Parts: sequence; C-alpha cells; structure tokens
Amino acid sequence: MIRIFSSLLLAALTSSAVLTLKAEPESDLWGRSLVQIESTRHQYEFFQPWSRRTSSNSKFGVVVGGQRILTTADYLFDHTVLRVQKGGRGAWYEASLKWIDYHANLALVEVEDTGFWTGLKPVKFADPVPVTGEAKLIRWNDGRLEMRRLEINRLRMGRSALSYVDLPQLELDSEIDGVGWSEAVVYQGSLIGLTTSQARSKCTAVPSFFIEKVLEEVEQQRFLGVGYFNFYWKKAENPAVLDYLKLEGEKRGVIVTEIISIPGHETSVKPKDILLKVDGFDIDITGDYLDPVYGNMMLERLATRGHWAGDKIPMTVWRDGAEIELEFKLATADYNKEYVPSARYDMPPEYLMAGGLVFQPLTEPYLRSWGSEWQRRAPVRLVRLKERRPTEENPGCVLLSLVLPDSYNLGYQDYRYLALDKVNGMKITNLPELKHALDHPKESFHVIEFLPGESVQKMVLDAVQLKSATQRVMFDYRLPTDYFVGSKDSEP
Amino acid sequence: MEAAEPEKSVIQIFTFSQEPDWDEPWNSSQVRRATGSGFVIEGNRIMTNAHVVSWAKQIMVRRFQDSRPHLAQVAYVGHDCDLALLEVEDETFFEGLKPLSIGVLPEVRSVVNTIGYPAGGEQISYTSGVVSRVELINYVQPGNRSLLAVQTDAAINPGNSGGPVMMDDQVVGVAFQGTPGLENTGFFIPPPVIQHFLKDVQDTHYHGFPQAGIRLSPLINPAYRKYLKLEAPDLGARIDTLMSDSAKEFLREDDVLLEANGYPVSADTTILYEGNQVHGGIAFSQAQHSSKVPVKIWRDGGELELELPVFVNYKDRLEGNQYVPPKYFAYAGLIFTPLSRDYLSSFGQNWSAVAGIGLLYELFYRKNTEPERSRTEPVMLSTVLAHPVNANMEIRGRVLVDSVNGKRIDSMNDLIKAFESHEGSHHLIEFGERLGFECLDRDAANSANNQILQTYGIQLDRQL
Repeated sequence: MIRIFSSLLLAALTSSAVLTLKAEPESDLWGRSLVQIESTRHQYEFFQPWSRRTSSNSKFGVVVGGQRILTTADYLFDHTVLRVQKGGRGAWYEASLKWIDYHANLALVEVEDTGFWTGLKPVKFADPVPVTGEAKLIRWNDGRLEMRRLEINRLRMGRSALSYVDLPQLELDSEIDGVGWSEAVVYQGSLIGLTTSQARSKCTAVPSFFIEKVLEEVEQQRFLGVGYFNFYWKKAENPAVLDYLKLEGEKRGVIVTEIISIPGHETSVKPKDILLKVDGFDIDITGDYLDPVYGNMMLERLATRGHWAGDKIPMTVWRDGAEIELEFKLATADYNKEYVPSARYDMPPEYLMAGGLVFQPLTEPYLRSWGSEWQRRAPVRLVRLKERRPTEENPGCVLLSLVLPDSYNLGYQDYRYLALDKVNGMKITNLPELKHALDHPKESFHVIEFLPGESVQKMVLDAVQLKSATQRVMFDYRLPTDYFVGSKDSEP
Repeated sequence: MEAAEPEKSVIQIFTFSQEPDWDEPWNSSQVRRATGSGFVIEGNRIMTNAHVVSWAKQIMVRRFQDSRPHLAQVAYVGHDCDLALLEVEDETFFEGLKPLSIGVLPEVRSVVNTIGYPAGGEQISYTSGVVSRVELINYVQPGNRSLLAVQTDAAINPGNSGGPVMMDDQVVGVAFQGTPGLENTGFFIPPPVIQHFLKDVQDTHYHGFPQAGIRLSPLINPAYRKYLKLEAPDLGARIDTLMSDSAKEFLREDDVLLEANGYPVSADTTILYEGNQVHGGIAFSQAQHSSKVPVKIWRDGGELELELPVFVNYKDRLEGNQYVPPKYFAYAGLIFTPLSRDYLSSFGQNWSAVAGIGLLYELFYRKNTEPERSRTEPVMLSTVLAHPVNANMEIRGRVLVDSVNGKRIDSMNDLIKAFESHEGSHHLIEFGERLGFECLDRDAANSANNQILQTYGIQLDRQL
C-alpha cells in the first residue's frame, strides 16, 4: 500500500516537473506580451437619462509594435479611467485610448510612462491562422499566467460583437469559463486571435489576419472603417428560382432580395439580381466563394478581404436575362446612419426636458433598457421602428419617454414611450429640431403631435409657463440640465 | 321538498365540442366534453354563455333534479357579449318551468346569489356574494371587446358559466368569467348587456354591440382646455382619434365630447352610469347597430348637437377569437391561411413571443400606424407539406405573404386569384420582411397538387 502511494507521488512529481519545464519558455514569452486592462466606465440609465453610475471591468490586451496595446473595443466605451498592469501583478499604469473602432471591435491603448514598457515584447501575428487543431488561451488569473487548451473549430463569418456587420471569426471549443475578455488565443508562439464572446462551450475570436490588416491601415492613417454589402441575399438552392430568373448555364450564384437603403449611398445591385462573381470570385448557390487560403467562406468575407468602407468591388450579376459587370461601393458601417441607431458609444444619453416632459432620441440602447428580452418586452411600436430606414427628410425619431409629474403637466403624467411627429407644426427627427420648435410656440401654446397609431395623438402645453415649470422640475427632480446633446466631453 | 322557483328554471348544459386546428386547418382537435349552466327565459329559450356552446357538435340540457337529457341547439349567439340562446327540440322540456325575468343593474354592495352547476359535483350549487364594482372589462370570449360587467365575491367556477345571478327572484346577471390569480373574484354580465342582446335578436339576426369609432383621451390639462376655449373645468373629453368611417364623416379630431346618449362626459372620459363612474364608451354600446346616438360636441369654441350613426366594427375580427372554421388554401403543398389571433394562438401558450414582432405588428398595429399599407386579411404561408415540387424551397412556413405573381395579397381571395389566373411558367411568391421570395414550376405544381392533398389527407384544397 505504501509502495503504491510512493510511486503515484513520484509519477505526479515527474509529470509536473516535465510540464513546468516545457511550459516555461512559452509562459515567459506570453507573460511579457499579455497585459491586463482595467476600464472604469459610465453606465447610463436610459429611463432616467441624466443618471450616472460607474462600473469597472478587467480585460486583456497584447503588446504590439510602437509601444501600444492591442485589445478588443468591447468594454472600453464610455470609459472614465483606463489602467494597465503587466506581469499579472504589481503597479497599475495610467493609460489612454489611442484609437478605437467599434465596428471592427479593435482598439489601441497607449501608456505614457516609459517604465511600463520595460521588459515587454510585441506579439507575433500568425498569418495564415490555422482553422483546425489545438490552440491555447492565455490570460492572467490572480497573478498567474493561465494557459488553457482549446480546439479550433472553424473560421466563419459572424456578426461582430458591437456592430451589425459580419466579420471573420475564429470559432473555438472550450470548457473554460468566463472567456470573451480579449484573451490571447495563440498557436505555436504566434497570436491567432483575441476572444470576443462566449456562448456555453463555444467562444469566438477576432482572427489575427484581420487584426493585422486593420492595424496596417491605422498605421498608414488611411483606415476608412469596415465596409459591408448593404443588401440581403438568399441562397439559390431552389432551381425553380433560377429558372424563373432565366439563368443560363449551370446553377450558381445567390439572389439579392432587399437593399438596405442608406441616405447618400448609391447601391448598384437590385433585388432579383443573381450575384455570380464578387471581386473576381465565383459565388456558389449557398453564398460561398473559394478562398485561396481558407477554403469555402461566405461572400460577406469579400467586403473585408483587403477592402474597406467606400472601396469599389467588381461584381458580375445576372440581371434581366443577361450577365452584366458592375462596381459595388461598400457601405460604411455607421450607427448614425440608422433610423434607430443600434449603438451610441462614448456618448451619454441625450435628452431634453421641458415642463417635466422628457424627450429622448429612440435608440437601441434605450430599447435595451427593457432587459435581455427587450425585443419582446419593449412597446411593439417602438421595437418595430427599428425596421424603418432613414431618409434625408426623416433620419431619426424622438420620443416623449416619460413625464416627471408637476402641476404644469397635470393630466399628462401617464404619457410615455410616444414617438413624436411634429411640435408646433414642425417635423421633429432630433433633439435640436425639438429645441428649435419649442422656441416657436403657436401663440401661447405648444402643440405636440405624435406619430399615427400612438396611444395619444396630440397634447398641448402652456408656452408662457414652460420656462418656470422646467426650472421647477429640474430643481425638484435634481436634473443637472434640461438639455443635453453631444459627446461625453460636453457633459454638464 | 319542493324547490324554490328560480332553481327549477336553472338548466345544466352538456356539450361535446371540437375545435379546429389553425395550424393544420383541415384538421380538428379531439372531441371534448364540457358542462355549463343556463336558465329559462321568455319564449321557451335557454340563456347561457356563448363560450359554453362554442364549437359544440352536440348540446344536451337537463332540468333541475331530472336525469333525462334533451337535445338543444343554438338559436342565437353573441360572441362579443358572451351570450347565447338555446332552443330545445322537445317542446315538453319547458313544461312547468317558469321563465326567469331580467331585473336591473344591481347596486354596489348589494347581495346577489349565483345558481348553477359548477365543476366538482352533479347537484345544483348556490353561492352568495356582494357586488364589488361595476365597470367596463375585457370579455375573454371575443378577446378584443370590452363591455360593462359586474364584479362579485360570490364564487364563480367552471361550470357556473351561463348560470343566473339572482337578486329578489330576478336575474341581475349571467355568470361568465373570473380573473386568474385573483381569489374571490368573479364577473357576471349585467342586465343592460343582456337586454341589448335580447333586443338585438328580435329581428332574427344578431348584429352585436356598436362602437362610436373614436378614441377618447382625457382633457385634464388646463392649457389644452384653454387652447380649445373650453371654460368648464371638468366636463368634456377630447376625441383623439377617429377610427370609423362614420366618425370621420361626422366628427373632427380635437372635438370635445360633452355629452353622449344623454350622459355628461367627464374630463377623464367617464360617465356616471346608474351611480357608477364608467368609461364613456358605454354610452355608445347601449345603442343598437346602425342606429344614431345623440352627442353634444364642443367645436371651435361652441357647442354643437348631432346624431352620430354607430355601427358594429367587423373590421377587427381577425384580432379577436372568431368561432368560425379557419380559411385555408392548399396548393402544391403550400398551405395558406389568414393571419389571425386564432392562428397565432396555435403557436402555443407563449404565442406572442413565438410569433415575433413582425407578425404582431401586422395583425394588431399596422392598421393604425400605416393604414395605407395595412391589409384587410393578411395571408400567411403557414406550412409547406414536403414534396419534390417544393422540397428545395428555403422558406418552410410561418411567414406573411406579400405578393403572388406580382399581385399584392390583401385577402385569401386575392391569393387564390393570383395563383389561378397566372399563366406564366413559374409562380413567384414574395414574402417581404427580408425573406425574399420563392418560385414554383407551375406545370409541376399543378400536376403534384392532387397527389399532395391525397398524401396528407386533405379532403378539400380550400375552405373559405
């Protein structure tokens, strides 16, 4: 019995010693390239847009050339303080954001204190990245460098964590908990990606080949943003559809079904066009092209494969019974070009309070105040407005979001979540327009009209008493200002 | 011992019913047995709830302490007010039964007795309680109608439905629904609603409860009252939206409703009705379909009296429970049916979450937000029954049809016409909402149609 125990102990010691010996060079390498980032951020309460709370998150970044730290953009928005720490312990250094792009989900952080950079070493990017096999996830955990195995599943196109554009993503299998904080994913001494999200045992990472290309553009100061194809398409697996469109020859291509209209952006494809070739690559009936490096990839990849917003990409389409060549201009991913913006980063909630009536732009962050099931819980009319496309004349929507009760607004206390149409006869699409309209009452009244189908169509306010009522409500409800529009730098 | 008179006139009702299957509209659910209550009224008729006899294939009635069942049938049914009148084939059924008379709206705090055959036993049951309040509530049977109802703490349980609520030997209500989660709370249909129903069927056709076709909004804010030059501080509610053609013809937005059917309308949109402060809509639903209701209006700084024609609103039938077999059209394995509340409820208990925003918006909201783009009878591709002719279609059902062969689909008739009048080589079915379109080879679809109907046991290719 004793003998058996002894040999087990020996075996354990031996294997541990072997592991330590093998891991040492790699942990040294990554220990000098991986840093921890602490981001203290504002958290806004959209139901009371003047409220501020803060929270802190810890995430990771890797050292890249030029004394900068590369990380994902997630959890850096609305930050008040950024700090970094090397070696998983010790002093925290003040840091600042050098560059960030939320659609690409990448950011560069810099540290002024030169002492921070001592002993740090830039990472090497893998290009190409492996799409199968075993990789390692590396992060700091209580002062210890944690190196865990994960399986590379595939390279695919997927919705970016902070955007509506599809970007290349590495899909990884892992049983590790709490992944998605920009941990380094490495393979044979090179960085192959930074993690972005986790769902059960699967996590995703932004691949290094994409990161490298973005950094090159940023370095050359010519990064124009991520571009995308502003149309929906469907697979052409139903031969009857291709027959209907009179496609000659073999079955191929996918069918454009809807154009996402963007004010000021010309889209050269049309619904019922068959996309046959994009950027010189044949498109098959499932929407894939054959990538020379990564094999079958969805055609969305071609919008970011060496291309950026505004670039023109050659396409061959089948239209009206004939093949035609055209150039497609990649749309620029921009939250401000959505009728209901899907995000408003680095910007506190905007509002205007008049006589206790609180007006806010309709944004997705506002709708997300209804919680994780916001699409089901928020008012249907408002959620549905997300489907609306902006036009030059009607680029956005303003809500009467709530009423702070006061004698001035008696009878209106229950009004909320109402989308504005006009104020004093003027169409309202943003808060400055509303402010202007409130400066121009109709005789001694303000007449507020809501969009058709809202539960109330109209309300009237006393224009003479508005200013004093606004002051009173500001005092009673402790609002710092009655009007806030702009970035966090212009906060009251 | 001889029973007291009211009990003798309370009837036990048994039904065998079978509901349609809205997901597979050619099918029906299993036959279900249920019980309810009713009572004899003038003219050898039995009054009960509409929901007691909905979808009934067979109705049987039994007298107090008499085990013999008698076949009955529905003479009139009003789903909007959840009332029905039954006739019994055997006239001798009514021998010795004294019809119960309908009384008046009971006052709050008065004591009422509920008589019926609730679940849990075979014998008649009596409960008593107090009238707690009188107000406008949503009637569950139609799902999208609100009428006057009385709340009581007398126990009203399944099986009580349709039974009389009595006070001083007169019927002051028909027991009809409870509120899940609220204890000791039952509701009964009061005499004004019962009398309206009985008057309505006098011409041998039931029409329903009319509506003013307006949406009233409180007019409490002094600035708005001043804007409208209205001096009285608490009289008159604002007409916010005009919904019916009649309202659009006779009224204007920002008209103030001062009086409706003789009732002064308060600024908070209520009227004082028989001592109860209830929503002003009651004043209009008292009238019969296609009659005129006198109203006093404040417009442009002056009073105006006019007669407002009121009608039953049939346009929102798809938004409520309908009690008619679902329409469908089966073609090449594609099953089309109208988008309705009934259809969506086939998605399960959590139907509104499963349906998603797009379908909810189309059914319940679009007519108000974008009337120019709304459809009278939106049509769904509910499912696709697999067959080689449709096997390559990516879309397999639960989607709204936008157009067929280039023709916008506003109704089932539009859909059938668009398919049957098309002569091209392919059918083009467009769905909108980012879903794109699908195509069918017309000759192949026509050839496969009968075989698909046979394979899936569909007797008829359509039910309209």
